[in-house]
Amino acid sequence: MAITRLVYIFMPAAVILAFCYAPTAALLGETSRLLYFHVPLAWVSVLAFAVSGIAAIVFLADKRGRFPGIEDSFHNSASLGTLTALLATASGSVWAKLMWGSYWNWDPRQTSIIILLLIYSAYFSLRSALAGKPARGRLSAAYLVIAMTVMPFFVFVVPRVFLSLHPDPVINPDMKIHLETEMRLALIVSLVAFSLLYFYLLELLNRLSRIRNAAEVSPHE
Amino acid sequence: MLDAIAGNLLKDFRIEFRRRFALNIALSFAAITTLAVSLTAGGVRLAAQTQAMLFWIILFFSAMNGLAHVFTREEEEGTALFLRVTSPAAAVYTAKLLFNIAVIFIIAAVISPLYAFFLNVEVASPSAFAAATCAGCLAIASSTTVLAAIVAKAGSRGSLFTIISFPVVLPPLWIAIGATRAAIAGNTVAEGVVFLLAFSGALIAVSYMLFGHIWIEE
Repeated sequence: MAITRLVYIFMPAAVILAFCYAPTAALLGETSRLLYFHVPLAWVSVLAFAVSGIAAIVFLADKRGRFPGIEDSFHNSASLGTLTALLATASGSVWAKLMWGSYWNWDPRQTSIIILLLIYSAYFSLRSALAGKPARGRLSAAYLVIAMTVMPFFVFVVPRVFLSLHPDPVINPDMKIHLETEMRLALIVSLVAFSLLYFYLLELLNRLSRIRNAAEVSPHE
Repeated sequence: MLDAIAGNLLKDFRIEFRRRFALNIALSFAAITTLAVSLTAGGVRLAAQTQAMLFWIILFFSAMNGLAHVFTREEEEGTALFLRVTSPAAAVYTAKLLFNIAVIFIIAAVISPLYAFFLNVEVASPSAFAAATCAGCLAIASSTTVLAAIVAKAGSRGSLFTIISFPVVLPPLWIAIGATRAAIAGNTVAEGVVFLLAFSGALIAVSYMLFGHIWIEE
C-alpha cells in the first residue's frame, strides 16, 4: 500500500529533521523541538474531527447505502482525533510547564482543546447510551455534525477574542508560518508525516471494523 | 407549515400552562440557588466577574431542567409517533425551538431581578445587560433544542442531556459571562452579542438540516 511506504519514509525523516537538522529557537532552547510533534498532533486532531464530521454528513445523506462502511469510518476517525487531541494536550502541557511554570494555565488554546475533548467524550457517552438501538448511527452522526459546527468557534474564534500567552508562529492572523527556513521545513515534513500516519491508522481501524462486522454476521464460517 | 408550527406551539404552551412542570422546576431551582449563593456570600458585594459567572451558572443549570422536557415528554407519553405522523419535522422543530426560547426567556426574566436584589448587583449598563442576557439565552436554547431531541431518542434522560449539552453550550456560556461582566462594569458588549447571535444562527441552521434525520424513524 502506497500510504504505508510513505509513512515509513516521512516518519523517520520527520524525527531526524526535528532533532538533527532544525536549529533551536532563540530564548526557547531545546524545548522548541516539541513544536515538531505538538503542532502536527494538534493539526491531526483537527483533521480527524473534520474527516469524522464529513463522513457523518455522508452517512446521513447516503439514503441508498452506497458507502457501507462509512459509520465505522466516522467513529474510528473520532477515536483517532480524541487520541491525538489528548497527546497534543499532554505535549502542550509539558511545554507550558517548562515555559510558563505550570502545566495548566487556562490559556484560550488550552481551553479550546479541553472543550473539544469534552465534546468527543460526550460523543462516546452518547454512542454507549445508544448501544443496540437501530438509530445509533444516525443520532451519533447528527451529534458529530453539531460538534463540527461548534469546533470552529473553539479553535479559531475564542483564541482571537481572548488574549493568549500561546506563541503564534503557525496559527496567526497573517496566515503565514513565522519560522526560519530549516524550522519551517522540519515542521512541514512532520505535518505531512503525522497526516499520513493518521490516514494509515484510519485505514487499519476501518479494516478491523470490516473484519469484526463480517465475524458478527457469520460467526461460524 | 405556519399552521402546523402555531398548532404545535399552542399545544406545548397549553400543556405547560396546565402542568407547569418545566417552569416550576426551573424557577424553583433558580430561586433556591440564588438564595443559597446570597446566603453564603453573606451580604458581601462580589466582583463583576464573579457576579456574571454565578448569574450564568444559575441560569444555565435552571434552564437545563426545563429545556430537555419538551422532547422527553413526547417520548414518555407516547405522543411522539402521533406528532411524527401529523406534523412535518421542520414544523415540530420550529415549534419546540420557539417554546424553549420562550421558556429560557421567562426563566431569565425571573432570575435577573431576583439575582440583582439578593446579590446587591448594580448594573452600570442595563440595556447592555439585557442584550447580553437575551443573546446568551437564544444561544443556549438554539443549541440545546436539537440535543434534547437526540437525548429523548437515546432513552437515558437527565444525566446524558447535561453531558452532551455542556460542551456544546460552553462557548456561548463563556462569551455570555464575558459580555455580562462588561455590562455590569459599563463596558461595550457588542462583540460578545455578535458572537452569540452568530453561534445561534449556525446552530439553528445545522439543526434544521439534521432534525429530519433525528426525528423521523426508518
